Amino acid sequence: MTTTSAGPHVHGLGEPYKRKEDARFIRGKGNYVDDIQLPGMLYADIVRSPYAHALIKSIDISKALQVPGVVAVITGKDLEAAGLAWMPTLSGDSEAVLAVDRVLYQMQEVAFVVAESRYAAADGAAAVEVDYEPLPVVVDPHKALAPDAPLLRPDKKDRQPTNQIYHWETGDRAATDAAFAEAEQNGVVVRQDMYVPRIHPAPIETCGCVADYNAATGKLTVWMTSQAPHAHRTLFAIVSGLPEHRIRVISPDVGGGFGNKVPIYPGYVCAVVAALKTGRPVKWIEDRTENLTSTGFARDYHIHAEIAADKEGTVKALRVYTLADHGAFDAAAQPTKFPAGLFHICTGSYDFKHAHVAVDAVHTNKAPGGIAYRCSFRVTEASYLIERMMDTLAREVGKDPAEIRLQNFIKPEAFPYRSALGWTYDSGNYERALRLAMEKIGYEELRREQAEKRARGELMGIGISSFTEIVGAGPGKHFDIAGIQMFDSCEIRVHPTGKVLARIGVQTQGQGHETTFAQIIAAELGISPDDVDVEHGDTDTAPYGLGTYASRSTPVGGAATAVAARKIRDKARKIAAYLLEVGEEDLEWEPGRFYVRGSPSKGKTIQEIAFAAYTNCPPYLEPGLEAVNYYDPPNLTYPFGSYICVVDIDRGTGEVHIRRFLAVDDCGTVINPMIVEGQIHGGLTQGLAPALYEQLAYDENGNVLGSNFQDYLIPTAMETPRWETARTVTPSPHHPIGAKGVGESPTVGAPQAIANAVVDALAHVGVRHIDIPITPWKVWAILKEKGLATA
Amino acid sequence: MDFSGSQTIAAPIDKVWAFLLDVNKVAECAPGFQSLEVLGEEHWKAVVSVGIGAVKAKFTLDVTRPEMHEPDHMVVKARGKAPGSAVELSGDMHLTAVDSNQTRMDWEAKVIVSGTIASVGARLLQGTAEKLTGQFFACLKTKLEPGGTSQS
Repeated sequence: MTTTSAGPHVHGLGEPYKRKEDARFIRGKGNYVDDIQLPGMLYADIVRSPYAHALIKSIDISKALQVPGVVAVITGKDLEAAGLAWMPTLSGDSEAVLAVDRVLYQMQEVAFVVAESRYAAADGAAAVEVDYEPLPVVVDPHKALAPDAPLLRPDKKDRQPTNQIYHWETGDRAATDAAFAEAEQNGVVVRQDMYVPRIHPAPIETCGCVADYNAATGKLTVWMTSQAPHAHRTLFAIVSGLPEHRIRVISPDVGGGFGNKVPIYPGYVCAVVAALKTGRPVKWIEDRTENLTSTGFARDYHIHAEIAADKEGTVKALRVYTLADHGAFDAAAQPTKFPAGLFHICTGSYDFKHAHVAVDAVHTNKAPGGIAYRCSFRVTEASYLIERMMDTLAREVGKDPAEIRLQNFIKPEAFPYRSALGWTYDSGNYERALRLAMEKIGYEELRREQAEKRARGELMGIGISSFTEIVGAGPGKHFDIAGIQMFDSCEIRVHPTGKVLARIGVQTQGQGHETTFAQIIAAELGISPDDVDVEHGDTDTAPYGLGTYASRSTPVGGAATAVAARKIRDKARKIAAYLLEVGEEDLEWEPGRFYVRGSPSKGKTIQEIAFAAYTNCPPYLEPGLEAVNYYDPPNLTYPFGSYICVVDIDRGTGEVHIRRFLAVDDCGTVINPMIVEGQIHGGLTQGLAPALYEQLAYDENGNVLGSNFQDYLIPTAMETPRWETARTVTPSPHHPIGAKGVGESPTVGAPQAIANAVVDALAHVGVRHIDIPITPWKVWAILKEKGLATA
Repeated sequence: MDFSGSQTIAAPIDKVWAFLLDVNKVAECAPGFQSLEVLGEEHWKAVVSVGIGAVKAKFTLDVTRPEMHEPDHMVVKARGKAPGSAVELSGDMHLTAVDSNQTRMDWEAKVIVSGTIASVGARLLQGTAEKLTGQFFACLKTKLEPGGTSQS
């Protein structure tokens, strides 16, 4: 793709063009769901269970109805009468909208109160009296499988008689076992248990909606915090029975999603029911505690991993067993054919000949979820385990962690590479990325410094993560959400004066789509991104799409945009040929203009062509200049990178100080390097979070111990180190512009770089693994045990 | 959470027992006590407000005494709720006469706290419970021991 020639400078691909959307954000003119005010609007609050597991004996709403301002109270029995007490989850389970006879996790929704003000709604919710009979609580997923464990889901005991949701396997078990048997005899086998804890995306804007039903037209409009408005509209239609063309979902500005805004939550459904019941618009907005405790969590994988290798440390086989805690309902947001998402990427960047993975998923008395928090469906868990295991293998065979990686990388000439678990990696050059990272950070010098410090009794560690991601779902025949195939779309209208409106099926939550997608069109048509407005998020106007998550916007929606723009250009060529009275084959394209080969001065700009499309169109063509593309990608894309982290550990406090963190990312073709840089900074911070701070912990009674930002520690500017970044470019061979997607790479790649650095600092005293989050207390306890603590 | 303790009270065992038998007197010593209503034999409704860190909650408690063995053993159970929170308490108490004017009270309590108050106040629960227990026994001693305010 070239943007250099005689044509106008168009700020196409590779240009750090300032974000168009920031003009409204920095002026405070963004429009979030909670900014929406409608005449006569009511406000909602939800009565939630204090118990993690209990029977509901009775619900008394009489006092709540007497609270001044309260208009209605909806209970599970009311919903049951309307056939709406249960809703389908994205994983084929049924989730209670409002609990009818039992609650299965703390903060589960029990009643929905609507009132004239938010305050009256809260007072009304406090006045609802629920009589519970507590039941034994299952917090530990291992105990959920015990024969005497209480059955948490009697509602589906006919098809699922225990707390086990599924057992899933992939790979070749016999070949893997044989490779392990061989390694036990003649090579090495390393094993490690690790827990990737339950965390929460914690977007700054919590979830919420405004539901408005117009009885005269029969049209329901729902403004909601949605990462997938079209899919949500279809699900609303299926669940409610309302005709889909009379449902309009609008996802306005969204203040961060990270996967949290992919599922449908009970509050949305209740707001719709309340709007239908009261005939007035109803607004429901979560508070922080509700968001952290009841909406989609991420991770919660208990992993046992094993590598078989030869004595030199060349890997042969990978064997993984995982126990997945899905909480009370199986509401994991992932493509329906993949119960453990894309956990298959756990062979990572390494050339394993054999692999076998088994996952058991269970119910516990915890909030439902299992969403892909800034990762493409369990890729973070997979990448964490393989990068931790490669370090473990390096220790076992006495090699440097960099050396063991260089020795085992999939070689550049092996692409497209088919992994032992059956996935075809599109392109990669892992050695180049790691060598660049080592050079930039001064790896050899750091190792010398570490040795000197170790001799002086100081604790310094260097951690590497050479991750490979798998993003950009579809293709549609393999990937679907509730049966809807994961293509995506773009519709482009070129107006007579050459200005462009583009509407896309993906939806931004801060990623900068309005700029990035404008730049794709700018590059294809040779016009300024300023002349391209990008709209999204309104199901009445945007073409159907599956939404933004799993880093799929650029790989899928971006491809649709490039292809739609090329359709525009193809038609423009026909019009230009007509205007210039030459054959199409006699025309040359330069950004923004077709000209006659051999006579560069004789040409037509895209603006002139657009005007002609409406004023002087060739008689054999349809007037107008519009195009739409629904793009079904032929394969996923495989971004990768190599991160190196340097830590110092305080022997007095156990505190881990990140001295340096260098991230080399390769996301293929870069559209806007400034936006990519911003994505990497944010993603690295969200990768730092689970490494050192975040965990949604539960006590033995099922109380959530991370229900607010005092107890659930998200890193702020104070905790975040200065990120150093660098880049290699390995385009995707199957993407129209070679882009792979970048939003999630740093969240996927960063935690294990930090964990590996901490373990590296303590490896000389025999430490092989520390579960994240690596808190000062955990480190201090190890220092104490090893006689290294100075206090 | 499980708690236990041992207190020596400078009062004869029958006087201590008589005090503990009188729910109104015990209630007066309960920190945050607001009201008590008789629901039936050995069955009361008590309203108590507690604060744990920044969270304040008014609990309505259903209180029973399922086991009584005069003059040395008593079991108290309570289940209560506040908006967004719930609590279950079980207390087991043994009295032993150390001598004619001294009584030792050995007690154990099991407390299960659920909901907002447990979630938000988790790190403060243990400390708060110990503080409230301390206040209760201080009050008890004031009322029972010589020089205290109680005349019974």
